Amino acid sequence: MTEKKTTAKKKTAKKTEKQKFVPKIVAFACNWCSYAGADNAGVNRIQYSPHFRVIRTMCSGRVKPAFVLKAFEMGADGVLVSGCHFGDCHYIFGNYRAVELFEKTKKLVHLLGLEDERLRLEWVSAAEGIRWAELINEFVDQITRLGPSPLSENGKKS
Amino acid sequence: MMDVGRHPNIELYTYSEVTHVEGKAGDFRVTVRRHPRYVDEDLCTGCGQCSDACPIVVPNEFDAGLGARRAIYSPFSQAVPNTFVIDRESCLNDDFLVCENCRKACERDAINYDVAPQDVTISVGSLIVATGIDVFDPYTMKTYGYSVSQNILTGLEFERMLNASGPTQGHVLRPTDRRVPKKIAFVQCVGVRGENDCQYCSLFCCMNSVKDALLAKDHAPEIEEITIFYSDIRAFGKGYESFYNRTKERDYIKYFKGKPSKIVEDPASHDLTIYVEDTLTGKPMEVVSDMVILASAGLPSSDTLKLADVLGIELGQDGFFKTEKENAQLLRSTKEGIFLCGCASGPEDIPDSVAQGSGAAAGAEKYVADFRLPETEEEITPIDVGGPPRIGVFLCHCGINIAGVLDIETMEEYVRSLPNVVHVQNDLFLCSDGSQKLLQEMIKEHRLNRVVSAACTPRTHEPIFQETCARIGLNPYLFEMVNVRDQCSWVHSQEPLLATQRAMDQIRMAVARAQWLEPLEQKEISVEGSVLVIGGGPAGIQSALDLDAQGFPVTLVEKEKELGGRLRFLDRLLPENVPAVDLLQRKLAQLKASGVRVFTETEIKEVGGFVGNFEVSTTKETLKVGSIILASGSDVYDPKDEYDYEKYSNVLTNMDLEGIFAQTDGGEALINGTKPKRVAFIQCVGSRNEDNPHCSRICCPTTVKQALRFREQGTDVAVFYRDMRTVGHGAEEQYRAARGVGVVFIRYPDDQKPVVTKSGKGLRIQAFGTMLNDTVNMEVDAVILAAGMVPKEPDTNTFKEMLKVPRSPDGFMMERHPKLGPVETTTDGIFLAGCVQSPKSAAESMAQASAAAGKAASLVCRERIKLDPTICRVNEALCRGCRTCVSICDFHAPELVETSPGIFVARINEALCKGCGTCAAWCPTEAIAAQHFTDQQIEAMLETMLEEGL
Repeated sequence: MTEKKTTAKKKTAKKTEKQKFVPKIVAFACNWCSYAGADNAGVNRIQYSPHFRVIRTMCSGRVKPAFVLKAFEMGADGVLVSGCHFGDCHYIFGNYRAVELFEKTKKLVHLLGLEDERLRLEWVSAAEGIRWAELINEFVDQITRLGPSPLSENGKKS
Repeated sequence: MMDVGRHPNIELYTYSEVTHVEGKAGDFRVTVRRHPRYVDEDLCTGCGQCSDACPIVVPNEFDAGLGARRAIYSPFSQAVPNTFVIDRESCLNDDFLVCENCRKACERDAINYDVAPQDVTISVGSLIVATGIDVFDPYTMKTYGYSVSQNILTGLEFERMLNASGPTQGHVLRPTDRRVPKKIAFVQCVGVRGENDCQYCSLFCCMNSVKDALLAKDHAPEIEEITIFYSDIRAFGKGYESFYNRTKERDYIKYFKGKPSKIVEDPASHDLTIYVEDTLTGKPMEVVSDMVILASAGLPSSDTLKLADVLGIELGQDGFFKTEKENAQLLRSTKEGIFLCGCASGPEDIPDSVAQGSGAAAGAEKYVADFRLPETEEEITPIDVGGPPRIGVFLCHCGINIAGVLDIETMEEYVRSLPNVVHVQNDLFLCSDGSQKLLQEMIKEHRLNRVVSAACTPRTHEPIFQETCARIGLNPYLFEMVNVRDQCSWVHSQEPLLATQRAMDQIRMAVARAQWLEPLEQKEISVEGSVLVIGGGPAGIQSALDLDAQGFPVTLVEKEKELGGRLRFLDRLLPENVPAVDLLQRKLAQLKASGVRVFTETEIKEVGGFVGNFEVSTTKETLKVGSIILASGSDVYDPKDEYDYEKYSNVLTNMDLEGIFAQTDGGEALINGTKPKRVAFIQCVGSRNEDNPHCSRICCPTTVKQALRFREQGTDVAVFYRDMRTVGHGAEEQYRAARGVGVVFIRYPDDQKPVVTKSGKGLRIQAFGTMLNDTVNMEVDAVILAAGMVPKEPDTNTFKEMLKVPRSPDGFMMERHPKLGPVETTTDGIFLAGCVQSPKSAAESMAQASAAAGKAASLVCRERIKLDPTICRVNEALCRGCRTCVSICDFHAPELVETSPGIFVARINEALCKGCGTCAAWCPTEAIAAQHFTDQQIEAMLETMLEEGL
């Protein structure tokens, strides 16, 4: 009886802890499209999740594997790289380069033993404030469902 | 405003009036009366102590009378210059009374009551009139009850209420009880379109109400219902229709076609009852609302008549300044050398006003082209930035845009605890003149060598802050900006605690990055003084002529055999019915007499290079130009089998009909050889639908113009429409005239297109008339389809890739910013003119073309420009010469150089490098640094973000 109670208690505690889980998400946004798209969401006052932090780079092609690996090593639960749609890149093919590099990054992240879903490459244009908001919401949900990264403090505890 | 205020070549006279003008174009002498402020501009710091001491309280004009001000006041918080002014009408000090509270309060002795107006005479080459509009005061119109109820506001008053720096700090409050209203009603077309003797349409009010409806709910989620009573929703501009569609999806916004006959206030509850006919059922209706917003008309600004007299220019029938008729020039007044822009010549929206400003400047430059000032550069001693980082952090309230959501106090306290932060400060508007000066003082006082601001977006304001730093010698690349408005307070306003947390994290990340910022020096490059204009339609020709008039070498390239674009096929042009042929002939004659090099039957093959140094290869020759104007036009939508357009020869488009009218030579227009007894127009063909959601803007005015032409020859006309969007000078007047001469207008529902079938020799058109609440069957001899405009293919796509200019969701070329940069593109040195950017009439295209010419001129008039130093650099000691960077750079910026026999290293050409940083990401030895976005800078942000957690 007592044992049962404790397990139940533990379960509830675990459950509340899980509910409380707030993911740490890094979003790399390129200056010309995605960052501008995020600004566009602001101008249109579109509300979305605050559970992420933005790092602005000039191009999605700038995001090298080391940045992403560092983020995961230091306990990030998810990393989003966002650039311009194909054909929209301010540097013509910067986003194509981003894809090539991203393929490498993905393999390395896989080697770390992390779920593939923790890393995403997406395209958001300067006019797509709504898309940016939806993308962030969706990614935050996805990472929340996945739970803490096994490399993070939270993940190690559980 | 700040840019104007701080520009070394602009002399700013505020609170001044032009009282006398003599001379002619190229040589005007203008007398300016400078009204005394009674406050010395040089001494006043804008501290506001005088205002606090003033005993007088009067309504504040800037808040449309909703707020209050003192007799000594600053007109508004971002005013340039930020000098206080005394309103002597309400000030107590006169010959008999002495108050002098403000003088005593001023610590800098800036106040002097005995200053007389001062007349200044200046010599100028040309004049630009940008006197704007006034808003109609509905006080006299009993119908709307504005004089009776406090809960009825004008659109402008409501706009102030929604503004964070306005009288209610952005809270939507009902004036009588200061409660948040549950129901709000907007009433459109107050004092225009036939009311108050105004025949014209005020143009901006529809979108203003649509926008305010959306904003009101954002500001006050308690609002349950917003009803917009309209005549026609005129969402005509670029992106407007899709914005309007978005608001229609909100269930709390209701659109109701109908015009209230009266609005009555309940004396006890102060609720308002709106009496209106339900146009769907024809029955009278009563709608109760807590607040009513009257979309009040724009009127010519109050001193228009006086100014017209002083300048010796004419006014139009609508009371605005008259534009030059013969050449359909919207930017020219009736006198040479005097230009008009914005609402001076009639109501305009912001994008067109801004573009017109650049266009008027281009026209005016012709008369002063010989007097270009050499660029002066002040000698500034650089601040020594050596030693450990000393970081100053400045937090902006942006009125309540930021401070209304984020907890600035907590943030300030937190930021103080961050490493190397030696100074933290917050300010109502960091971008205001006074605050920027204060920022400079703080840099000196605290010997700051890094500055971080947490404010709006770096995309618009980083350059302003960077310049402020640079002006006192702090290298601008030691400045870092955190976006806590557009990407924080605005988007997480429902969760202020989490928003504040996010803001603090992002500031901590910026502070961490600031430690690693390095001073960078700007490199200068030379600029080719010539311009290429692509496309020889009215827009292209106008751009070329404007640039030629200023003395710049221009090349005009046209793909077709003949110049003129669509102008060749048009009959008469709006707004003044100038024959298109005559206009084209005159333009071609001007072109012939000018120095413009014209290449017809020529295509662009390739575009290389960069701002100031483009290399363009055409099928004729290769050109080196400093700037490119793209005026490649649009296409008319091809209805194909829609309404059996291809099947029946008496189903035409507006464009086909223009051709027929143009051929008649003033005689009667025949369709299939006979004069039609009755014709029907169908609006919105290929526009405002799923495939092409945009409104093509020109079809309604064109239909009305053509309907009038048909009536002249006795043909009966019916127009099947959704919203009549007769926008542009004179179009609404023509619409009224058309109704006056018996043109029948039948409104069909958005989701129920009219059906056209064959009936004997003629056609039968069947449609549901929403105003009649019945189905209409009509036998007609011809149906005219108002086919809209669509992007020209494949040209638009070709140029998109060639010039690296993105396209908007509607498929037209995208401007840099709809309001701040309507003719610029995201690629420096490339500008847009005419329908390639969005559908426009010929007159509107030419006005925009002048704007593009003005922008190109301001680039190519310089001999040299400064390049952004945020590019990539190779550390040759680390480079192994592996060629990775060479192979991935699409701009061919890196190349291998043999430094000593057999040793190769990469070097990056600074003029070719765009600074994307891709090579830095690929370099296996980390030899390449993407300056201003270095590995250390980015990693420092990651580390601090993840170490301390979210």
